[in-house]
Amino acid sequence: MSELAIEVRGLRKSFGDKEAVAGIDLEIAAGSLAGLVGPNGAGKTTSLSMMTGLLRPDAGRVVINGLDVWADPAAAKAVIGVVPADARLFERLSGEETLEYAGRLRGLPATEARSRAAQLLEVLDLTADARRLVADYSTGMRKKASLGCALIHNPPVLFLDEPLEGVDPVSADAIRRLLTRIVGTGSTVLFSSHVMELVEQICDHVSIIDKGKIVATGTTEAVRDGKTLQQAFIDLVGPRSSGEEGLSWLGSSSS
Amino acid sequence: MARILVQLKLRLLLNALRSSTAARTTFFFSTFFALVVAVGGFYVLALFRGNSASVDLTTVIFTAFALGWLTLPILATGLDGTLDPATLAPYPLRTRPLAVGLLAASATGAWPAANVIALLGVTIGLAAGGLGVLVAVIAVLLQVLFCITLARLVTTSLARMLRSRRGKDLAVFLIIPIFALVELLGQVIPRAAAEGGITAASFAGVDSWLRWLPPGLAAHAIQDASTGHPGTALARLGLLAAVIIVLGWLWIRSLSRALVTADTATGSAQVRAATLPLARYGRRGAVAARFWIYQRRDPTSLVYWAMTAVIMVVVSASTIFGPHQHPGVVIASAVFGAGFVGYFHANSVGFTGPPFVVEALALTSRRSLRAYFSGQNIALGVIAVPLLTAICLGLAAAVRHPDQAVPAIAVALAGLGAALCLSNILTVTLAYPMATRTGSPMRQAAPGYASYTFGGILASLAGVAVAVTPVIIVAAVTSSDPAAIRAPVLIVCSAAYGLALVWAGVRIAAREAEDRLPELCQIAVQSTV
Repeated sequence: MSELAIEVRGLRKSFGDKEAVAGIDLEIAAGSLAGLVGPNGAGKTTSLSMMTGLLRPDAGRVVINGLDVWADPAAAKAVIGVVPADARLFERLSGEETLEYAGRLRGLPATEARSRAAQLLEVLDLTADARRLVADYSTGMRKKASLGCALIHNPPVLFLDEPLEGVDPVSADAIRRLLTRIVGTGSTVLFSSHVMELVEQICDHVSIIDKGKIVATGTTEAVRDGKTLQQAFIDLVGPRSSGEEGLSWLGSSSS
Repeated sequence: MARILVQLKLRLLLNALRSSTAARTTFFFSTFFALVVAVGGFYVLALFRGNSASVDLTTVIFTAFALGWLTLPILATGLDGTLDPATLAPYPLRTRPLAVGLLAASATGAWPAANVIALLGVTIGLAAGGLGVLVAVIAVLLQVLFCITLARLVTTSLARMLRSRRGKDLAVFLIIPIFALVELLGQVIPRAAAEGGITAASFAGVDSWLRWLPPGLAAHAIQDASTGHPGTALARLGLLAAVIIVLGWLWIRSLSRALVTADTATGSAQVRAATLPLARYGRRGAVAARFWIYQRRDPTSLVYWAMTAVIMVVVSASTIFGPHQHPGVVIASAVFGAGFVGYFHANSVGFTGPPFVVEALALTSRRSLRAYFSGQNIALGVIAVPLLTAICLGLAAAVRHPDQAVPAIAVALAGLGAALCLSNILTVTLAYPMATRTGSPMRQAAPGYASYTFGGILASLAGVAVAVTPVIIVAAVTSSDPAAIRAPVLIVCSAAYGLALVWAGVRIAAREAEDRLPELCQIAVQSTV
């Protein structure tokens, strides 16, 4: 197996009595485009937050490119880029200022930050709206600007939480091509998603999380096991409710 | 409908109580203060018995309660979840029963009950005879109903406006005159009264026009019934009821519009500058640039500066307008001004909200955290130093003691240093999530964290007061020295002292933040912008 970019061991997190992440282990090889899929409330966002140093775990270890996130957060944070589920951006900065600010915070010289910001805005189809305040951006535009912030320092490992939620098909295609291109240069991408078709199409590695535990992980082919990823997912996670017999009142033919 | 919404409000209260210790603490504080208002209000109104100006004073207090109902939801409390038209819009509800339900929900809780109890003090203070007491009870109930309907009308209209960014931006500026009015009622008038500048007789003129406003109608109806004019009393109560019906009708119209109107303003703003300023100054410059832009573009930040100015003027107001001269009050203005600059920025993580995560991801070392806090202080200092200096000069001229400007500016500079030092430390140690509640344009402590706000005000004001004490002592001791030498030495030394405090604050805050960044991120994520 090639060198590991992301290595997670025994990661746990509880909120009060609820165990959100119940000890997950994960290994993602460098240069992978990996998907993390799971039903709502399975622990995807909590896991990604702990992997990126934004949420302190109760137990466990996360190593990114050989750097322990919780023993040496400074070094680990320098090699990652993060796109959170709810694009967290400065509402009163323009798109252009937002990307430049992210670059300068990451220690890039101002001229380099500006130049990279302009190129990213171009690729993300935001140039026409570069001088508009982020407060006036749509959900998809925010997602794209957030991706620009995560990429501006050229991180070798990228984490994305639901990167295509609320993004139109044209922009989604642009993001997909961008992610494939990043991975082609040897960087690693781990993203969570509900869209099985997307994960099946572009990911070479997939992990399924349910009730805070990884229930399947490996190459996409291995996890699918000859079925569609959607079917494999439902087989592993199981239907969420027992049946519809209690809904006899529902439907136009009922009174 | 009324039952469902009242039950919903009670359920929300209970759930909030169960959610956290902070929420319980806030609830108990709020209930305690409601009790104090109930007992205190009742006592004060009852004290007016036998006073020749009792009806005038009662009118003023009734008006003050109405103003409280009008302004507090906008300034501090917002609306509760049961009263937001947006949450009810998807349900097939007819507007009239919905309005009755919302009114009943508004009347549920400790504060409406405290209002009724407090105002019932008129049954002792103003009412006389059986008919007088009966009219007093009806007048109090109508007065509280008037307050609730008025507050709902204003907040429902605002809630509609607050759904767009531009509407929010405009609404925030409403805070400035409201805040100035509240400060005038809460600070200037009581202090002037305590100094003898305002007596019971001063309200005689005020009453001549206040009596025609709804709270005045309620108060005068009680007096009419108690002095043998039941017909006039009934006419006044009828007029008050008619006002309530008109307000209710306007509210129902506003509510039905609010249920189907998305927002009041569209369009988007373009920025002129293509790049961030302070390009040569690395991370510190980037953070200073971001904070500087926010001070200009974020209406809440602009309002904070305006509030600081209002507070400074209010502290000196009794000397400017009153009969007694206390020139030292300009120094007190400087202390309060600096203290509030510290408080307004003492929860910078919660105030920044979720975008703080972008910053936290890049703050990888103690050094970068120092750059973060000092960048923030540079942006605030660039505004605060000239603002406080100018106000101190203005106030010293207004109290006709220009010589007070020098010690006041010295205190302001040292105080600002202490304020920024404390705001950095409190940002890390007393961080709490903030939220924009329905019906209020301002961001406030998220539900359950109001006690943190009081902690922030107390720590900032007390800390600044303690830190500037040496400057005040030195200013007093050197007051007879030649001004040409004293003024520059005092100002330069105070500024240096202030800078030393800022330097210490940045170092302490950075050291503490290094270990707490994940926790600070969680607080930021819980905030809403």
